[in-house]
Amino acid sequence: MGQLFRELVKNRELIWTLALKELRVRYKRSALGFLWALLNPLLMMVILTIVFSTFMRMAIHEYSIFVMSALLPWTFFSQSLAYSVESLVGNGDLLKKVRIAKSVFPIAAVLSNVINFLLSMVPLLLLLAILRFPLHWTWAYLPVPMLSLILFTLGCSFFFSIANVFFRDMSHITQIVISAWFYVSPVIYSLDFVPERYHSFFRLNPMLYLLNGFRLAIYYGQLPSWQSMSMSFGCGAVSLLLGYAIFRRYQDVLVYYV
Amino acid sequence: MFDTAAMAGTRIRFENVVQRFRVIRERPDTLREVFTRLFRNRTSHHEFEALKDVSFSITDGEAVGIIGRNGSGKSTTLKMIAGVYTPTSGVVRVTGSVAALIELGAGFHPDLTGRENILLNGLLLGLTKQEIQACEQRILDFAELGEFIDSPIKQYSSGMFMRLGFAIATEVNPDILLIDEILAVGDAAFQEKCIARIDDFRQRGKTIVFVSHNMGTVRRICQRALLIHKGRLLANGPPDEVAARYEELLQQPAMAAG
Repeated sequence: MGQLFRELVKNRELIWTLALKELRVRYKRSALGFLWALLNPLLMMVILTIVFSTFMRMAIHEYSIFVMSALLPWTFFSQSLAYSVESLVGNGDLLKKVRIAKSVFPIAAVLSNVINFLLSMVPLLLLLAILRFPLHWTWAYLPVPMLSLILFTLGCSFFFSIANVFFRDMSHITQIVISAWFYVSPVIYSLDFVPERYHSFFRLNPMLYLLNGFRLAIYYGQLPSWQSMSMSFGCGAVSLLLGYAIFRRYQDVLVYYV
Repeated sequence: MFDTAAMAGTRIRFENVVQRFRVIRERPDTLREVFTRLFRNRTSHHEFEALKDVSFSITDGEAVGIIGRNGSGKSTTLKMIAGVYTPTSGVVRVTGSVAALIELGAGFHPDLTGRENILLNGLLLGLTKQEIQACEQRILDFAELGEFIDSPIKQYSSGMFMRLGFAIATEVNPDILLIDEILAVGDAAFQEKCIARIDDFRQRGKTIVFVSHNMGTVRRICQRALLIHKGRLLANGPPDEVAARYEELLQQPAMAAG
């Protein structure tokens, strides 16, 4: 872990530049450019709200905000994975020519999505204003669930990025894992909608705790219980420790496989 | 790392270095092969020895040329000096900072402008942002890009691309400069300019390792040459002698090297 921290500090300018590059390249060719970072979550929210609030008639007050409160952090997680799974393989050419800390690539992939996530708070605030939904004081608490989610995402990113070097199937597997994970996580619904007898199964999902803090703070204006909060930090820590341990174990030989 | 060799002014030292690669046979020939491979030995590969028991040392301020046929192990040697590859067995010791011109513009992103790529590439080569800003003007002067500096580099001609890559890599101001066959491309004027710059480097007492097929350039730049053939060090001495030996080798019927 100490090594990771040293690499992070030493390469901070590189990581930042790589993350900005990622965003710039993503939006460069499109006419609306960075606006897409704001439009994307809005459009997604509109679709989900129409489907679940109008057609399926889910009895949730202000469903659009309910869904956004968990969808935005979820999108941060899933996009980070989608980016980082390709981050080493995609830079294989470079890794073979320049000696460079390998960890910068998955870290930069996650960082670029942190920036995207922060941008996506703008349409959410806009939505609150339009719907005259209260801006709870608990927003001030958001950095806490964000930190635990970032730790968790980093760990997964380390794992998937290096696994993809050795098994290229990983990028396909990741997509399936992410979409399955989405449906078993309380993003478009809440845990109350799930029959009681399945709850013990749902409680095995780290996303339950990781997303909980966001929804409570944004939608309900409450703080999570300290149990829930420590669970999410626990998941974050375990993910990062495991993911980075695997990454570190294989980072020196990956150059022969990319 | 404390090393007595470093005290004696040895910059680079190879001791009985072996570099083995796994060559994976991609693309199974028959459908049956796909299945048998799936169930049995799923990575059908053979090992290839790119370097076999290579020993040499290069002292501070020396300019050494590495010559040999395609696939003989020249680039592998450079990549080991650069620290991209670690030896399968034997020892590689390098003291001081290394800048590798293994491929000009490795890490350039086609959608970013020249200026943006200077920053990104400089960071990848280990400079800080401040150092890059300090030498940006010199890079621009050398690269002669004119107003193209703020256009995406995919619009560059291959000459402009190379001038920019070369300018950045030599501004890094390393203790050791590795150059891999990059002067073969580019027009005569550019080549002259590069060679002048390399001369300048040498006069400042920097160590240069230079891979080339052009005996004229090797004779001009280097005080010593190494001939590598099929992974073995065949000759190590004055450029004239080694070049003669190489030309002899070229006379032999072209057998696939490696």
